Amino acid sequence: MARAEKRVAMATLVATRGTGPKREGAKMWVGEAGRILGSVTIGGCVDARVIAESEQVLSSSESRLVEMKLADEDAWEIGFSCAGDLDVLIEPIDIPEGKVLDLYRAVRAAVGQGRGAVIATSLKDSSNKLLLIEGGEIAGTLGSAELDRAAQSIAFESMRKRASSTVPLGAGALPVFFEVHGPPPTLIVFGAGHVAMPLVSLAHDLGLRTVVVDGRPRFATHERFPDVDELLIGIPSEIAETLSYTSSTFVVLTAHDYKYDLPVLKVVLPARPAYVGLLGSRRRGQAIKEFLRDGGMAEGLLDQIHVPTGLDIGADTAAEIALSILAEAVAIKSGRTSASLKERT
Amino acid sequence: MPVLYSEVLLDHFRHPRNYGSINAPDISYESFNPLCGDRIRLQLKLDRATVQEARFKGDGCAISTAAASLLTELLIGTSIEQAAAISDDELISALQSDIQPARRQCALLPLEALRHGLREHG
Repeated sequence: MARAEKRVAMATLVATRGTGPKREGAKMWVGEAGRILGSVTIGGCVDARVIAESEQVLSSSESRLVEMKLADEDAWEIGFSCAGDLDVLIEPIDIPEGKVLDLYRAVRAAVGQGRGAVIATSLKDSSNKLLLIEGGEIAGTLGSAELDRAAQSIAFESMRKRASSTVPLGAGALPVFFEVHGPPPTLIVFGAGHVAMPLVSLAHDLGLRTVVVDGRPRFATHERFPDVDELLIGIPSEIAETLSYTSSTFVVLTAHDYKYDLPVLKVVLPARPAYVGLLGSRRRGQAIKEFLRDGGMAEGLLDQIHVPTGLDIGADTAAEIALSILAEAVAIKSGRTSASLKERT
Repeated sequence: MPVLYSEVLLDHFRHPRNYGSINAPDISYESFNPLCGDRIRLQLKLDRATVQEARFKGDGCAISTAAASLLTELLIGTSIEQAAAISDDELISALQSDIQPARRQCALLPLEALRHGLREHG
């Protein structure tokens, strides 16, 4: 669209009350010449209204926050299957040059380097934007140093959860939308044994990039791991040093062997990935932690290890264990408790 | 009578000597056990025909790690001929442990790396 249009309106779903088919951060672009890309809902009259509002934003060159209140009947009719209200921010974007476009270019560069990034936008004045990149780079402002400081911890927490949301900020409770961007989540599995096989297949189905590391060429094969993105054979801890770990990296150690677990954990824990799971019993986990503790590893780093790894779903087979591990990893990434949805209020 | 895992073995496992890599080594060879997954890379820096520096890197069990650590200590300062003459029993006895037949291959993994490396060096 950027190649075909000179100006576009970018509509972003910034808040939902109730439940809807799309999460905060969903986008739709409406070009000055009429092209449409993306969606903030699953279609229907909400998107139609967003298109109409976008055209007005392009005429006026003024951003606007559109609040849509849906009656229950309307919600059912358009497939917004649980009634809810939603807020959509619509901003004019100039192509190829423009402040907003430059921010998104910086985001794309960071994501290309495997880093997460958050754009915090004031919903009172959307020209006030703060860009925060994983690793510490900051650009722009929300309007004051106090707001920028307050935004930082929320931005990094949002990055960890990989969830965009609107949060009231500062003494005046200024509504700020934190839009999270990140590289595709990656699962790194150390140990190419029988649990690793369904783990990689299931992770692939969940849309994760997968990497398997082992020292044994007979185990780390494409025949055993047909869905894997990368198979790495060598000294596992040495390979671990060459990999990057971000807030969207899950690491699972499935070798069930201290000779891999100890040296790999020494590398992985200080990098603080989103999740570190260790296959084994609680007792085995204590022994591994004790060894690392004796070697000088800080308690805060050791606390990251999930051992036994996975949720308590009565997993027995390799596939069930894989399901339990990924369910726990996804819950932690999303900041959820893993309790049954039925219990959720 | 040797114990299962001697203090010497445990100490070399917990605190391996000469662990790491050599920049531009004269000899480098990586051996691995295809089933259990132990991997040891042994590297030597020579000064003419004498081992000036010996280092290893790898993820291995206590026995193979300790054996690699002890082997580097045995190697430093020896001639290539002396290095080639280090026997299985010499390295295993340096571990001062009761190495069971099934675990001899763990203890001998770094020695295998040494022998292959020397052969490649000519």
